[in-house]
Amino acid sequence: MSLLAVDNLSISIGNVTLLDGITFSVDKGKVLGIVGESGSGKSLTALSVMGLLPLSRGRIRSGSVIFDGIDLTGLREADYRKLRGNRIAFIAQNPMTSLDPVISVGDQIDQVLRLHLKMTRKAARQRSIELLSQLRIPEAAEVCKLYPHQLSGGMKQRIVIAMALAADPDLIIADEPTTALDVTVQAQIIELLVQLVRQRDMALMLITHDMGVIAQACDDVVVLYAGRVAESNEVGAIFRQQNHPYTQALIGCIPRAGMAPGSLKGIPGSVPSVSSYASGCRFHPRCPAAADVCRTQTPQITKTADGGHVACHFSAGVQG
Amino acid sequence: MTLGHSDTLVSITDLNRTFTGGRRLLRKSRTMNAVSNVSLQIERGSVTGVVGESGCGKSTLARLALRLIEPTSGRVMFDGIDIGTLTPKAMRSMRRRMQMVFQDPYSAIDPRYRLQDALLEPFRLQGVKLTKAEASAKVEELLTMVGLRPELARSYPHQLSGGQKQRAGIARALALQPEFLVLDEPTASLDVSIQAQIIGLLERLKDELGLTYLFISHDLGLVRYFSDRIVVMYLGRVVELLPTPTALPRHPYTKALLDSTFEPDPKLRRAVAPAEGEIPSAFDLPPGCAYASRCPFAQERCRTERPELQSRPHHSLGNADGNMPPYEHPVACHFPLSLTSI
Repeated sequence: MSLLAVDNLSISIGNVTLLDGITFSVDKGKVLGIVGESGSGKSLTALSVMGLLPLSRGRIRSGSVIFDGIDLTGLREADYRKLRGNRIAFIAQNPMTSLDPVISVGDQIDQVLRLHLKMTRKAARQRSIELLSQLRIPEAAEVCKLYPHQLSGGMKQRIVIAMALAADPDLIIADEPTTALDVTVQAQIIELLVQLVRQRDMALMLITHDMGVIAQACDDVVVLYAGRVAESNEVGAIFRQQNHPYTQALIGCIPRAGMAPGSLKGIPGSVPSVSSYASGCRFHPRCPAAADVCRTQTPQITKTADGGHVACHFSAGVQG
Repeated sequence: MTLGHSDTLVSITDLNRTFTGGRRLLRKSRTMNAVSNVSLQIERGSVTGVVGESGCGKSTLARLALRLIEPTSGRVMFDGIDIGTLTPKAMRSMRRRMQMVFQDPYSAIDPRYRLQDALLEPFRLQGVKLTKAEASAKVEELLTMVGLRPELARSYPHQLSGGQKQRAGIARALALQPEFLVLDEPTASLDVSIQAQIIGLLERLKDELGLTYLFISHDLGLVRYFSDRIVVMYLGRVVELLPTPTALPRHPYTKALLDSTFEPDPKLRRAVAPAEGEIPSAFDLPPGCAYASRCPFAQERCRTERPELQSRPHHSLGNADGNMPPYEHPVACHFPLSLTSI
C-alpha cells in the first residue's frame, strides 16, 4: 500500500473548481515529482495534502487523500496538527520567508522537537546540532545561535530542511525548494533531499517546474496542467516517450548540451487563469496537435501501454 | 587578451570596480572588489555569455559595459570610442546604440505607465520628436516585433503576464535601434516554458536586426545553448573563457557549474559532489585562488598564489566534436583539468 494515495481529488474555492480529479500516490523511499508551469495547480495539491486549504478558502469537493490508512479529507484540525511537522513535513519555496527573523535558527529547530517529540530543551538542542551536522553544516553548534539574516540562502534552506526532518517524518512535501537558490546550491540541496529519502525510507513529493530537476531526482512523475493531470508515469518511461503533448513541450523547454541554435522550443501562449479555462482539453489552445474533438470533449484519464496514465485524445501509447 | 577577431564592437580592458561598505561600529569600512582586472572583446554579431553565481560580479560587469556605473579603473571601448571619456551629453546620445534588458520585468516598467508610454519614453529622453501618427506606428511596430498584440499598447504592466512584460522590456530596449544589448538574467524570474519563448525571441531578433549581445546568467546550460563564447566569473574575476559553447571546462569551478546543470534525461543523472561550501564573502578575499576553499583539487600553492588568466597550450582535444580548438582558451588555474580526465 502506498504511503500517500490521492484519488480523484477535486478542490474548489467558491464555485470555481481549481483542481479536477487529481490522482497519484507516493511510496516510502521514493521521490514523486509534480511538474507543471505556474498556475497548473502544483502548490494547491501540496496544500491540500497538508490540510492547509482553509488558508486560501479552498474546499475539498470530492475524492480522498489517504495517508498511511488515514483519510485526511475528514480529519479534524486538532488531529491534523499532530500530523503536520511530525509525520508530514513541508519545505516551502522561499527559505527567506519560512524562517522567523527574530528567533535564532537553533531555537526554531528545537521548537519542532519539543512540540512533537516532547524533548527537553537540552535534548532538543543536542538533536538540532546533530541534524545540522548531518546536513553538512560546519560548526553546527555555533550556527544554531545565529539568526536567519546572518545566513546565506542555501544555508537557510538547509535550516528549513533540518526543521522538516526534525520529527523524523514519513512524508516530506517540498514546494520548489531550490527555485530561490544558485545552481550549485540547488544541485547540492536536491542531492541532499534524495539521499535523505533513500537513507531514512521517507517519501518525498517534489514540486518543480523544471524537467531537468525531475530527470535528476524523481522516481515517478505527475504532470499537471490547468488543474488536471495531463500524464503520470515512471520517470524513465516519461522521458522515453511522452504520451501527452504538454509533457513533450515541457521537456523541450530545457536546453540540452549540444542543442543546435534555434531548436529550443517554448510553449506558445501561457497557462490560462481559472476563469478562462478552455472547453474540452484545457491544453488545446497551445497544443500543436489539437483537433476538433479536443475543443469539445474532455479527454479522460486512460491507462497507457507503458504503465502510465494520460488524458489526451491522441495519445499514441493508450492501451487498446 | 585578444581572441583574434578584427570586428570588435566592445572592447573591455583591465576593468576594475570596487565598492566600500561593511562598516560597523568600531570597524573600518572594507573594500570589495566586485570586478577585478576583467578584459574582454565582444565581436560584432556575437553572443557573449557571462556565467557565475550570485555575487560573482556579473551584473556589475554588465553595468560597467554600458557605463551605468563608473569603473574604478580600466577602459570600455565601444566601436572604437572610449566611453569613459564621453561628456554626459555625448554619453546620452551614445546610449542609443547600447541598451539593457533587466532581470525583473515586474519592476523594469513604471507601473503607472501604459505600455505605449513606456515604449515612447526612450524617444522622449533622446529628444526625438514624433508626430502622433509616427508614435502610434512606432508602438505598433515594436509590439509586433516582440510578438505582442498591438491592442496591448494601452494596457498597464499589472495587466500583463511575466512573459509579456519581459517582451515589453525587450521592445523598449529596441526602440532606438541599438546595436548592442546587455541582457541581465532576462529569464531568471520566468517559468521555463516562457524562458524558452523569450530566448527564441532574442535569437530571432539578433538575426533580423544584426544585434550583439552580452548575455548574463547563472544557468550554464542556458548560456551554453545561447552563446558563442562564455566568460566564467568567480568573485569578480574571470576564471575561464570558453572559446566555444561546447568547449570542455578546464577550471574546476566551471566543471562544478556544469555538473550542477541537470539535463532533461534521467539516463544522464549526475553524481553531484557533496556540499563543498558556498561562495565566500567578496570582502577580505584570501591571497590565493578565490575558489581554493571549495575546490576539490586545491593544493598549497592555490591558497598562497593567485593564478593569472592565461592561455594554456592545448595538447589534446579542445572541443567536444573532436576538432582542434580554433581559439585560445584562457583559464586562471594552477592545475587546470586535463581535457582527457573529464
